Amino acid sequence: MTVAAPDRSTYFAEGAGLRSWLLTTDHKRVAWLYLVSLTFFFFIGGAAATLMRIELVTPQGDLLTDDAYNRLFTIHGIVMVWFFLVPSIPATLGNFLLPLMLGAKDVAFPRLNLASWYVFVFGSLFTLYAIIAGGVDTGWTFYAPLSTVYANGHVSMAAAGVFIVGFSTIMTGINFIVTTHKLRAPGQTWFRLPIFVWTLYATSLVMVLATPVLAATLLLIVLDRLFGIGIFDPAKGGDPLLFQNLFWFYSHPAVYIMILPGMGVVSEVIPCFARRPLFGYKLVAYSSIGIAVFGFLVWGHHMFVSGQSTYAGVVFSFLSFCVAIPSAIKVFNWAMTLRKGQISFETPMLYALGFVGLFAMGGFAGLFLAALGIDVDLHDTYFVIAHFHYIMVGGMVTAYMAGLHFWWPKLTGRLYSEILGKIAAGLAFLGFNLTFFPQFVLGWLGMPRRYHTYPPEFQVWNVLSSAGAVVLALAYLLPLCYLGWSLFRGARAPGNPWGATGLEWRTTSPPPEDNFAIPPVVTGPPYAYAPDVTE
Amino acid sequence: MSDIPVSKAFADTERETEADRFGMWIFLATEAMLFGAILLGYFILRLKYHDAFAAGSSQLSLPLATANTAILLTSSFAMAIGAETARSGALRCAHRALWATALLGAAFLAVKAYEYHDDWDKGLLPALGVFHYTGPNAGEMALFLNFYLASTALHATHLLIGILMVAFLALPSRLPTPRRARRIESVGLYWHFVDIVWVFLFPLLYLVQR
Amino acid sequence: MSRPLRLALTYFALLALLALTVGSSFLPLGFGNTAANLVIAALKAALIATVFMELRSGGPLPRLVLGAALFWLLLLFVLSWIALRGV
Repeated sequence: MTVAAPDRSTYFAEGAGLRSWLLTTDHKRVAWLYLVSLTFFFFIGGAAATLMRIELVTPQGDLLTDDAYNRLFTIHGIVMVWFFLVPSIPATLGNFLLPLMLGAKDVAFPRLNLASWYVFVFGSLFTLYAIIAGGVDTGWTFYAPLSTVYANGHVSMAAAGVFIVGFSTIMTGINFIVTTHKLRAPGQTWFRLPIFVWTLYATSLVMVLATPVLAATLLLIVLDRLFGIGIFDPAKGGDPLLFQNLFWFYSHPAVYIMILPGMGVVSEVIPCFARRPLFGYKLVAYSSIGIAVFGFLVWGHHMFVSGQSTYAGVVFSFLSFCVAIPSAIKVFNWAMTLRKGQISFETPMLYALGFVGLFAMGGFAGLFLAALGIDVDLHDTYFVIAHFHYIMVGGMVTAYMAGLHFWWPKLTGRLYSEILGKIAAGLAFLGFNLTFFPQFVLGWLGMPRRYHTYPPEFQVWNVLSSAGAVVLALAYLLPLCYLGWSLFRGARAPGNPWGATGLEWRTTSPPPEDNFAIPPVVTGPPYAYAPDVTE
Repeated sequence: MSDIPVSKAFADTERETEADRFGMWIFLATEAMLFGAILLGYFILRLKYHDAFAAGSSQLSLPLATANTAILLTSSFAMAIGAETARSGALRCAHRALWATALLGAAFLAVKAYEYHDDWDKGLLPALGVFHYTGPNAGEMALFLNFYLASTALHATHLLIGILMVAFLALPSRLPTPRRARRIESVGLYWHFVDIVWVFLFPLLYLVQR
Repeated sequence: MSRPLRLALTYFALLALLALTVGSSFLPLGFGNTAANLVIAALKAALIATVFMELRSGGPLPRLVLGAALFWLLLLFVLSWIALRGV
């Protein structure tokens, strides 16, 4: 790391060699370790998607064999879900900012924090091996008995990688929960915490309660595949629906792991660039916990057409409509925060506003899918793909970009090129919509997911989508360039370049190793942007 | 010896002790979800194939499992004594209690190994290739026996990790006594949890009635 | 009551419950056997948690965690029941 830190009191100054990074217990450095690993995996998942979109330009399967295509969408799913999205904001921005936002010197268990990164890397080796050795073709969902009996490919290796990485998630979750309870600064009551902390806490709740069920499920998959224990194999008396039930018990809450932190970022950025306190702070805080809890009640909506009981379908459909409510509350509150605000459109704000619109779109699509009758037609079509990409890419990745750009000066002590930032944000918004809106249309027209051949009448939409993917790829490569550039040539950032509230802005950019020269004391509510405004 | 926090994040050890305890309980909650998910699978299949599960259960060795349950309960008792004496500073006593815990845990594993050997001879481990039952519902009994092997092996793995941690704690150490006591308490929580898992596995696997 | 004494009494109670659960399994009670065994197991777990794991001292957080774990297990079982077996 060749970041020059002329001021000896920043965390970069405490050692520059490889050992100081690989043996660090400083939460800020652990955040960087994760940032590097996650960026690597983002581009691997992105490469798989690129190949898929190139193939889909023509209706025939001319670039790839069926098998190769299956392996690509499986790699894309596994890598993007478990090796990018789940850890993304929590392990990078969360690790860096949580102690700072609480006014603490570090997380509760710093060595556990470093260990979690090593567990992540170790687990990723298994999955990387599986990819390099030819891949897996079951889809990221590992459905049995395909995965246990019939699939060729390195299912056990890939599953083992995900199993191990799950422990990294659990370790992070435990650390964040305990840190939030036990290391708040004097005066830092629960309802003075920034919403980003609330969402990290809610995310951590889901991480620790849901991930073990995934671990159990993957363990049973591997045992079924290697030893034929038969639990998911109908030929042996097992139940494939049991697999789906266990898998989605984790995987639905997992999608809330993959959006809550993004919501937290947006809740920090919008008040700052509207110069107004967050509207309905307590409601937003409660909604975060509500999303985490309610998220556990809806998993059966992935199984409407699987053969589960119709009665269960009704129950899960109703609950799925309910879970939209706390998310909607948040969207209304973000919108109301903007009202009468002095809005400026710096790069983080562009991404944050993009989030609100795209997340809302994705959420509306979710309501369609929650309706039993409509889901019968839309299940396993591109409508579903568009729905979750609007939320995970239009939402979470956009929020990740917002957060990276908002806190980059704090992390690095450098400012990036605002012009390039705005261009990238604009390209991302355009590219994203061009890529994924046609997929709503395709799904509605009936194109199934996970197919690389399609009827010729679908081609125009597929071509639009692939064109969008090119723009989106550019939009994601651009920040890699100018953010990387800023590390060496960017202007030095002041302690609080945005004039934001929050304890992290009360220290230098970048912070010293112990975070605060003087341990902070909190005396008022968060988001004190317009002191004369009461709400 | 003065006791200072392990992590610079904490100003005093009292807060850190609470954090350690809280963190370990959360970890145990994750383990509860892990075993809970596996037991869910067990319950679903047991309700479907009750007779075959009962028949399979009656093939297993009740005497060995009962003895093992008693051994594990005793080990929890020893562990609790170890934590209590470590906290009150009676380190020699704590030392002995920890060794007793580890030895009892090892005894459990030894009995389990003998039981697996016995199961092998009787052809009760279809997952490993030996299954001698040819009566009705053989496939469903095989399902039960596979569950038995998978869940007891998972439990045994957790127990082995516990034994290693307890044995490590029993070794001579230069740590301040209060810090050792905190570590022993944390490992103790884990040990008792592994015992609780067995307390449920035992009747579910060995006491299924027809 | 001193702590070692309390620990010893709990230990003997646990052994007694073990005898009860094994002994009762020889009585033909049908589903009553399973019910009894699960209740006894829960009692044993409660004893281990409250006495050996000192759930009552040590602050409210461990009890909260236990409550959450039990609630989430209940959720897992009840909703899965509905999904997989109807009602």
